[in-house]
Amino acid sequence: MKYEMMDAKKIIGEVILSEADQNPNVVVVSTDSAPRTGMGGFIEKYPGRYYEVGIMEQAAVGVSAGLATTGKIPVFCAPAPFVTARPFEMFKIDVGYMHQNVKAIGRNCGFNYSDLGPTHYGLEDIALVRLIPDVAVLAPADASQLRGALRAMVRYDGPVYLRISTAPIPKLFDEADFEIGKGIVVREGKDVAIIVTGEVCKNVLEAADQLEKSGVSAKVVVLPTIVPLDEEIIRKAASETGKIVTVEEHYVVGGLYSAVSEVCARTAPVSVKAVGVPHMYLSAGPYADLMHYCGLDPEGIAQSVSAFIRQ
Amino acid sequence: MKAKSANELRKLSAQCRKNILRMIRANGSGHLGPAYSCIDIVTALYFYGMNVDPKDPEKADRDIFLLSAGHKGMAQYAALAEAGFFDKSILDTFGQFRSRIPGHPDMHKIPGIEANTGSLGHGLNLACGVALGKRQDGLNSRVFVIMGDGELAEGSNWEAAAIAAHYKLDNLVVFVDHNGLQISGLTKDVMSFEPVADHFAGFGWATTEINGNDEEEIMNLLDRLPLCKGKPSLIVANTVKGTGFSKTAGKAGCHYWAPCAEDMALAEHELDECLAGLEK
Repeated sequence: MKYEMMDAKKIIGEVILSEADQNPNVVVVSTDSAPRTGMGGFIEKYPGRYYEVGIMEQAAVGVSAGLATTGKIPVFCAPAPFVTARPFEMFKIDVGYMHQNVKAIGRNCGFNYSDLGPTHYGLEDIALVRLIPDVAVLAPADASQLRGALRAMVRYDGPVYLRISTAPIPKLFDEADFEIGKGIVVREGKDVAIIVTGEVCKNVLEAADQLEKSGVSAKVVVLPTIVPLDEEIIRKAASETGKIVTVEEHYVVGGLYSAVSEVCARTAPVSVKAVGVPHMYLSAGPYADLMHYCGLDPEGIAQSVSAFIRQ
Repeated sequence: MKAKSANELRKLSAQCRKNILRMIRANGSGHLGPAYSCIDIVTALYFYGMNVDPKDPEKADRDIFLLSAGHKGMAQYAALAEAGFFDKSILDTFGQFRSRIPGHPDMHKIPGIEANTGSLGHGLNLACGVALGKRQDGLNSRVFVIMGDGELAEGSNWEAAAIAAHYKLDNLVVFVDHNGLQISGLTKDVMSFEPVADHFAGFGWATTEINGNDEEEIMNLLDRLPLCKGKPSLIVANTVKGTGFSKTAGKAGCHYWAPCAEDMALAEHELDECLAGLEK
C-alpha cells in the first residue's frame, strides 16, 4: 500500500487554530505541552486565550472545567497517560460528572514513546475514559479522520477525549465529514470481520491484502469513535461473517475488544478474537519491535486472523 | 435581599442553621459539624458579599460560589433556600433517592450550585478556571471558595495555589474554614499545614485571619476585598466546628451527626432562643 505520511501535531495545530478563528470561546490549556502539540500558531495569535499551567495535570483538568463554566471550550492536549490516568478523578468528576464542555487530546498514545517504556505508554486511556459516563472517545485512523475528528470534537456539545499518536501518521482515506458515533466499512468481506480503531488501521488494511492472497475474504470496519459506539455496524458485521477480530494499539482489557465483545455478548453472540497489547508491562524498545511482539504488524494481524477462522 | 447589619446577618445565619436541622431531621443524619462551622461565612456571602440573584441564578456577571469542601453542602442549601433560589420544602427531601439536594452538591439538580464537589481538592482548580474565564470576558465577577482545613492535605490544592498567584487572580477569594478538627481528631495532629496563611503567602497570595463565626468581622472583610490588587485573597477563617448547638460545638464527633430525638429538639430550641434574643 502506498500512502502519504503527515504530521499529526501540525494537523492538530491547524484545525484548533481554524476553529479558534471561527469561535472566540476556544481556548487552549497546556501542561508545558501545547507548544509541542503544534499549538505555536494559536499561542502566537491568541495569547489571551492560552493558559499554561506548568506540569500540573490535575490542575489542568480542573482549570479546564472551570473555564468551561464560563462558556469557554478548553482544548487540553498532553501525552495520553497524563491526560487520563494521572488526573483521572478530575476527569471523572470535573469533566464527566459535571458534563463540562472540555476537549482533551491524549497524544503519543499507544507505543508512541516506545523508547521510554511503560511510564509513557498510552495503553489504558480508552479503558479509563470509557468508564466515565457521557464522555465521547475518539480514535481517528488516519490524517483525514484526525482533521474531521478535531473539528467535530470542538463543535460537539459535551466532553470529548481524542487519542492520537504524534509520530507521522498515514493519510489512508479521502477527507470526509466526521460524524461522532459512526463507524465506517472500508472493505467488504465474508469470512471474517476485522474491527479496528486508531492508526493501526493501516496495518489492518495491509493484513487484509495479505489475507486475500491466501483466499481469506476479510471485511474491515473502522471505528474512529469508541464512545458512543456504533453498535449497529458491529451487529451487522457479526451477522454477516460470524467471526470478529478486534485490532487496537491498546491493552486488550477495557478498550475496543471489551467494547465490541460487550455488544456481541448482549445482542449478536459470535466469537471475538482480540489482537492488541497483552496486559503486562512491556519493555522499552524500537516501535516496530513492540508492534511485532504484540502481533500488531500486518503479518501478525494476518496470522491471528487466519488461525482464528481455522478454529 | 442584602443584609444591612451584622445583627440582621446573625438572624439569617441562625435561620440557616435551622434549615440545616430541617435537612438532618428529614434524613436522620448529616454533616452538621462542618456545615455549622462555615454557615456564618456562607450566609454572609449570599446575603451581603456576593452579586447573585435568585431570580436569575445564571446571569453572566454573577459572582460564583464554589464549596470545595462539598460535604458542607447543607450550609449552601440552607443559604440558597433562605435566599429564595428554591423552595424550602425541598429541604425535607434531603437524603431521599433522587433528591435535588444530595449529600454532596450537584450543579445539574438545583439552581445556585456551580460545581459537583464532595471529593476534596477539586474546588480550587475549578475556581482558577472560572476566575480566568471571567477575567478573559472582562467581567468583574469574583469567585468565592470555601475549603476545609483538613482538605488542605490534598496536593491538587497546591497546584491551584501556584496557578492563582501566577495569574494574579485578584478576583479569587478563598476562605479556609479553620476549625482545627477533622474526622480522626485535631488537624494539626493528623497532618499539619500550619501556619496556613504562611503557606499561601509563600505562593504569593494576600492573606488575613478573621473569626469566621463573627458576622461583623466577616462583613468588614468582605468590604475590603481584594486584600491586595494583583493577588488572590486567602482568608484563614478561625471557626468552631458544630458551633450553634451546645452539645456539638468544638467536638470532632459532630463531623457526621445522627441525633437522638431529644438532642434534635434541644438543638432547635437553642436556635429559637438565639433568634428570640436577636429580635430584642
